[in-house]
Amino acid sequence: MKLSEEASKVVETSMRMNRVDENERNEIIQLIDRLPDSRVNLYKNVVSNPIGDLPRYSIHIRIQHMLTFVTFLTLAFTGLPIAFLDHVWAVPMNNLVGGIDVSRIIHRTLASVMIFGMVYHIVYIAYTTMRLILIGKFELQRSIIPVLKDVRDFKMDMLYFAGKRDQRPEMDKFMYKQKIHYFAAAFGNLVMIISGSSFIFPEFWAAILPTSMASYFQEMMRLSHPHEALLALLVIAFWHWYNVHLAPGRFPMQWTFLTGKITREHQIEEHFLEYLRNLVELPEERAYLHDLLDARELATDSIEGLETVEETP
Amino acid sequence: MYFFVRKIISFILFLLLLMQSNLVSSFEDDSGCLLCHKYPKMGRIDENGVKRSYYVMPGVFGSTVHRNVPCTDCHNYIKQLPHKPVKTGVSCDAECHSIKNPATGKNFSHSSVYDKYKGSVHGREKIEQGLDSDKPYCITCHTNPIYNPNETEPPKRIIDRCVVCHEDREFVTNWYKHTSRRIREVKRTPEEIVQLCSNCHSDESLLQRHEKAASEEGRELGRKFSIAVESYDESFHGKVTKYGFTKAANCLDCHAKEDNYYMNVHDIRASRDPESPMHSSNKVETCRKCHIHADENYAELDPHPTSKKADNPFRYYANIIYSWVGDIVLVLLISMALIETIGRRRDGVSWSLRKGSSWWHRSSKSKDRIE
Repeated sequence: MKLSEEASKVVETSMRMNRVDENERNEIIQLIDRLPDSRVNLYKNVVSNPIGDLPRYSIHIRIQHMLTFVTFLTLAFTGLPIAFLDHVWAVPMNNLVGGIDVSRIIHRTLASVMIFGMVYHIVYIAYTTMRLILIGKFELQRSIIPVLKDVRDFKMDMLYFAGKRDQRPEMDKFMYKQKIHYFAAAFGNLVMIISGSSFIFPEFWAAILPTSMASYFQEMMRLSHPHEALLALLVIAFWHWYNVHLAPGRFPMQWTFLTGKITREHQIEEHFLEYLRNLVELPEERAYLHDLLDARELATDSIEGLETVEETP
Repeated sequence: MYFFVRKIISFILFLLLLMQSNLVSSFEDDSGCLLCHKYPKMGRIDENGVKRSYYVMPGVFGSTVHRNVPCTDCHNYIKQLPHKPVKTGVSCDAECHSIKNPATGKNFSHSSVYDKYKGSVHGREKIEQGLDSDKPYCITCHTNPIYNPNETEPPKRIIDRCVVCHEDREFVTNWYKHTSRRIREVKRTPEEIVQLCSNCHSDESLLQRHEKAASEEGRELGRKFSIAVESYDESFHGKVTKYGFTKAANCLDCHAKEDNYYMNVHDIRASRDPESPMHSSNKVETCRKCHIHADENYAELDPHPTSKKADNPFRYYANIIYSWVGDIVLVLLISMALIETIGRRRDGVSWSLRKGSSWWHRSSKSKDRIE
């Protein structure tokens, strides 16, 4: 496979950061040369373990996700019946958790846990980023920070879905969808915390804001809390759960949030640049690819060539 | 034989009479009102075709708080029997000539609370015509309540203790009932208070009638007059109160002065009245009853929020923008999920993993998995 300029840069940077020696370097370059020209050919033919093959999330990130999603769903469950009191499901739903006297305690307690999860995440991300910078392994495009390339990736991906391109763009560890989702959740979290605090500490907010703003701010918060909650819940239900549970290839679920690992075919399909880094960082992944390439002839772009390939035992 | 039968029948009749007298003896009927009013069918159909019952259930009335007040103390316009048609009925500020107020020695009367009520925004005469007839009279809110409805008999343990010195069990029982009913929290629950106020304040035709009259007369009404209940229901106070939470403010917590709750709930005033706890000069103090750190800014927050254009245009437009943004985001994301599914399905992805790959379907776009 002849790598694009972008991908070559990623491999080069990764080899430099990991201080790869000459032998390994040659091995990596040779392996990449052996890969089939089309990425489609690669991710369609690798064998994946459904619970994941390649490292993606550390235990801290998994705990933070767990904290966020458990608190989020319970907060929604205890909060929605209050916001949408006049709906027929509201009262039975509230009774299910023991009535208002219980649900308000649950709501506030879990809000604190959610805030703790957020602080934990910020501290963890700040710490790991600092550490990566200090040891010289920080790469902006490998992080969740949106870059211009994401806009291009989005366009290319849409063209692929529309059938105008034959393969998906080379995306990094975090693709455009994940970046949108991450920042939407971060923004939503912040809105929920500020608006929630304006319900529990209205005097505080009124005292620190100028007189002309205090009332508008409170009205805005009264609107924001239920609107944002409902939007978040619907986005989670219709988009996030689609992406990680319902989408073909991900069904019935991606195990990443539990195992911290991503399947090989998924990594190559949606995070090809990260897969190249995996090849640099993980000798066992290189060994797997060598075995695969030895056993099956995947190379070449010629469709005629493919038809003559014999079945592998 | 016949003699015995007569004796037995007389005895049974005597017993029945005893039972009957036991029933009516629970309150004094000095004026003989029950001569007629004991009959369940006692009543008439009035000029408007409404069926009116004049039946007094002695057993029930006998266990109400007014059971010791002779009928003619309140119905003081009855001078002879049979009496003439009643024009105005009972006024609650009437003085009871038979009961003395043990604290002052004066005749017992509700006049102090009645005067308070007359000075409030709700004050009216018993018989009113026109708009004022929409206002509540005493009996709109107060029925003639029965002693502790949750407690048919006072606890024996307590009565036993009292009779050790006070000897008379009946006296002690009555005293206990009288006192315990007043010591207990006999307020309506917050939910019931909201319901009570809503009876009139969410009556559309009543509200329209008053708004129309006010605009014709150039009179000012409260800013939230016509939306008081629905906006309260939309507030946090309203929502949690509806769920039975008792610590959030209900109508009376803000609209009645604090110092003597039981007196001041009768003295509700319009918020433009300087005596109202909702008047701009008293608002901060009223908020501080619960929100101890409240300041002037806090008092500006709207306890009756709505997204109605006429009431709060800022919130009205903000709400529209919020809804649109939410809808657009959802439509875009769901479309993205759909187009993604279609695109990847076309390229051969499937919903299950077979031999370690999801790409075992035939692709109409690029190369297939090699089996």
